[in-house]
Order: sequence, then structure tokens, then C-alpha cells
Amino acid sequence: MTRTDLPVVQLLERLDLALYESRDGRLLGDAPDWLTELAPEASKGSLEFDDDALPILGDFLGQARRFWQDGARGRLRSGPFVETDARGRGHALEATALRIDGRSLLLIERLGEDYELAVANLQTARENLLVQEELERIVARRTADLREREEELVYRLIRAANLRDNETGAHIRRIGLYSAALARALGWPAATVDDIRLASPMHDLGKVGIPDRILLKPGRLSEDEMAVMRGHTSLGAGILEDSRVPAVRMAAQIAAGHHEWWNGEGYPRGLAAEDIPECARIVAIVDVYDAMCHARSYKPAFPEDRVLDYLRERRARQFDPRLLDVFFERLPEMRRIRELHPDEGMDTAG
Amino acid sequence: MIRTKVCMLGSFAVGKTSLVRRFVHSLFGDRYLSTLGARVDKKSLVIDGTKIDLMLWDLAGKDDYQSVRPTHLRGASGCLLVMDSTREHSVDVALELHQLMLDTIDQVSFVVAINKCDLVDEWRLSDRQLEQLRALGGPIFRTSALTGDEVENAFAALARQILASKPPGEDGDPS
Repeated sequence: MTRTDLPVVQLLERLDLALYESRDGRLLGDAPDWLTELAPEASKGSLEFDDDALPILGDFLGQARRFWQDGARGRLRSGPFVETDARGRGHALEATALRIDGRSLLLIERLGEDYELAVANLQTARENLLVQEELERIVARRTADLREREEELVYRLIRAANLRDNETGAHIRRIGLYSAALARALGWPAATVDDIRLASPMHDLGKVGIPDRILLKPGRLSEDEMAVMRGHTSLGAGILEDSRVPAVRMAAQIAAGHHEWWNGEGYPRGLAAEDIPECARIVAIVDVYDAMCHARSYKPAFPEDRVLDYLRERRARQFDPRLLDVFFERLPEMRRIRELHPDEGMDTAG
Repeated sequence: MIRTKVCMLGSFAVGKTSLVRRFVHSLFGDRYLSTLGARVDKKSLVIDGTKIDLMLWDLAGKDDYQSVRPTHLRGASGCLLVMDSTREHSVDVALELHQLMLDTIDQVSFVVAINKCDLVDEWRLSDRQLEQLRALGGPIFRTSALTGDEVENAFAALARQILASKPPGEDGDPS
């Protein structure tokens, strides 16, 4: 059989297709029953569709005409759609505009059972997606609950530890918030930002191991006493290290490294520059900023400009210069944190 | 009389079909039925003395399996951007579709419909998401296809915008 012998009309009938040729708006073959039910006038052979009867097909025909005029290659497909007949019954169709040997053709296919099957599959898939979304929401909520409990435990333990050196609960929260703000500004991932918010308040946890006679001594410490006091960094790291919890592992690095200096003159290990974990370099800045801006029983609050001068003087000596620059860029945010979380009954820097 | 194409856009299962059914037929079915492809309903409104026929294109929602076909959007004068107040992710999808709408259609009017607002205790949208929606610049309606709250107002506001965007004397389907 040659190409010209193809029984096109019978083929269209067998496949339940309607085929129009654009040149004379001719319907090739007889109109299928479904086309007659949808739009009797369309079945008479005219390539014009009443927008009320066949609104989607009419809309697609406009796009098809532009496609033919442009002489585009390939084909333009409508995707599946449903047209409703006068009796309110939906007919699932798909139209394709194409050009073959210079002839502009519009093929309309009734999807029938294939459409019903596709809808059923889509329905199942989407119901599964909804269940998945709900499960993800439950997991996220429970994770947040667990995180909240972890935080509460951490804050209560630190409050207990700080009872000995009169550190305030507001200071603890502020350190977490400043550190998170700085980490966020540095582009840390959200989960790690959350970790430092929880970890940084534990930086002085090792003070629980410092004897009262040294921790609470008024006046200057002797060299020996100072050496014991400096041990709070290693003590804190010892309490926190080897945890499976990322925030606690980070807290160990912060406890060990927040008194290290950028130039290597800090303690306990004399680490320098980027050998000091970034989390510890962040806390080194915000701890000094907050401690100097707020009054304690043994000292008044310093004016903020004096605190900022102090930080600047120690840029690239005590503090990481890049982090300090970002800290200064974010100063308005740091000030907002101070305003929102003041020490109760304490003077603060203006 | 003006006849105009309006597309319902949103993630899957946000209530696009239910909003159309409520608006056109005053009906609500509580079972979720997926839409595949497109289906059109018609509703006439009279806005300030002008009759406008809204051809409401209810399009399949965007999900992991299918996206909205630009061929369905072409020629639209307006879009109702629908999201589900109980599903945060539906806002992200709506924002993506808003961009697709701008990329596909010149001079399109739109309103935002935060649907399922009758489920007060299940509200999940954050302040940040509401801010993102406000930044789009269209009116925002808190709708419920179940109770009908704000449904008519949302469609009427869209029709009003479409009329206001047409040059004087223009009528007929803008596509």
C-alpha cells in the first residue's frame, strides 16, 4: 500500500478523531457523534467554533492560526481540556495544530477512557502528595517542639551555672541572638544559624568548675588565679565535647575558642586567625560588645561609642577583621536586640 | 457587553474548582477532585452598568507532576491567584505562577485569593508570606468556597480591574 492509498477517513472514524484542514475550513470525513453533541454547527464542516459552545477549542484555534501563519515547524498541542455539551456532559478532548506538506491541519481527539484513567491516577498521586505535605508538617512541628525543649533545658542549665557569677538571663539570650544575626549576615545555612543561637550562650559554662574564691573575688586576680580562671574555656569544652548533637558540638568549639585572639595571643591554645573556629570568633566579638554595654555589680555600663572604639582598636589583633566589619554593618540589628532584651533593673549603654 | 478570559491559577488542591463552582453555581462539594487540563465556566456580572461575561478557565493546579501550560494563559485579561491558607507551600507556588503569568501575558489584572479561610484554627501562612503577597500589588481576599465568604467580592474586584484596564469603547473578547 502506498501513502496515497491510506484510508484516512476510515482511520479517523476508527480512532474517534476529527480532522480539519485550515485552507477551506473543511472537516475531512464525517463528524464524530461527540462533535455533533458538543456543537452541531461545528460538525457541518466549518472550522469556526462558537465560543459559548466550545470556548477552549475556539481559543486554541486562534493560537493555531498564528502557528500556521508563522509557518512554524512541529506541532502545537492544546493539552487535555473538557468541553461541556448542551446537556451538561463533559467531553475530554485534546487538539493539535500541525502542518504537513504545506497543509494546515487541526486534529481533535476525544480522550475518553484515557482521560478518566489519567484523572484517577492524578487524583491518587495528589492525595499522596497531600498526605506527604501533612507528614512533613507534623515532622517539622515535632522537630521544632524538640528544639524548643532543648533550648529550654540549655537556658535553665546556663541560668543555674550563672547564678554563681551573677550573669543575667537576658545576656544569655542576647548572645544567642547577636551570634545568629552575625552568622546569618555571613551567609550561614539556616540550620547552622539556629545551632549558634543555641550554642553561643554556653560559652562560659566552664565557670561552674572555677572555685568561688577566684570566680567571686573582688579586685584583681593574681597570675595563678588568672591561670585558674582561664581554665574555664577548657573546662567548658570538656563538658560539651563529643556530643552527637551539632549545637552542643559547636558549643564545645565556642567554649574552647572564645578567648583566642586573631593574632594568636589569646588562650587557652594560642590559636590564630582561621585556626580559631568561626563560631568562636563570632562569639568573641558579641560577648565583649554585650558585656561592656551593660552594667554588672562590679562595673557600670560603658557608652556604646566607647565600646565600639574598643572593638575597633582590637581589629585584627583580638578580633577577626572581616567578622568585625560585618558586625559594624549589622550594628542597627545588634542595637535592636539590646533594646528588645534589656537587663532587668540594670543600666545599659546609650 | 464585554467578554473576557479569566484564569484560575494556583497549586493543586487549593480550591480553584470550588471557588468557580461557588461563584457560578452557588455549590460546594467537600470532596477534593483533581482537575486535569482545563475546563471553562461562564458567569456574567454587571459592574457600574457594564455587563461583563467572565469566561472562567479552571486550570489544573501546579504540582510535582504537571505545570500550567502557557497556551492556556494566553489571551487572558485577568487571573485569580489562589492559595490555601492551611498550606504554606501553596504560597510559594502562587508566587511562581504570578511570575509565569507576567512572563506570558501583557497587561494582566489579578487578585489574590487566600482560600479555605473558614479553617481558622489551621491557618499556616507566615507574616513573611503575607508580606510577599502584598508586595505583588494586587488586592488580597480571604475567601472560603465552603461558606462563600469574599468569593463574589474577589471575582467582582477582578472584573472591575479588567474593565478599568480597557481603553474606552473597547468591548468583545480581548484575546
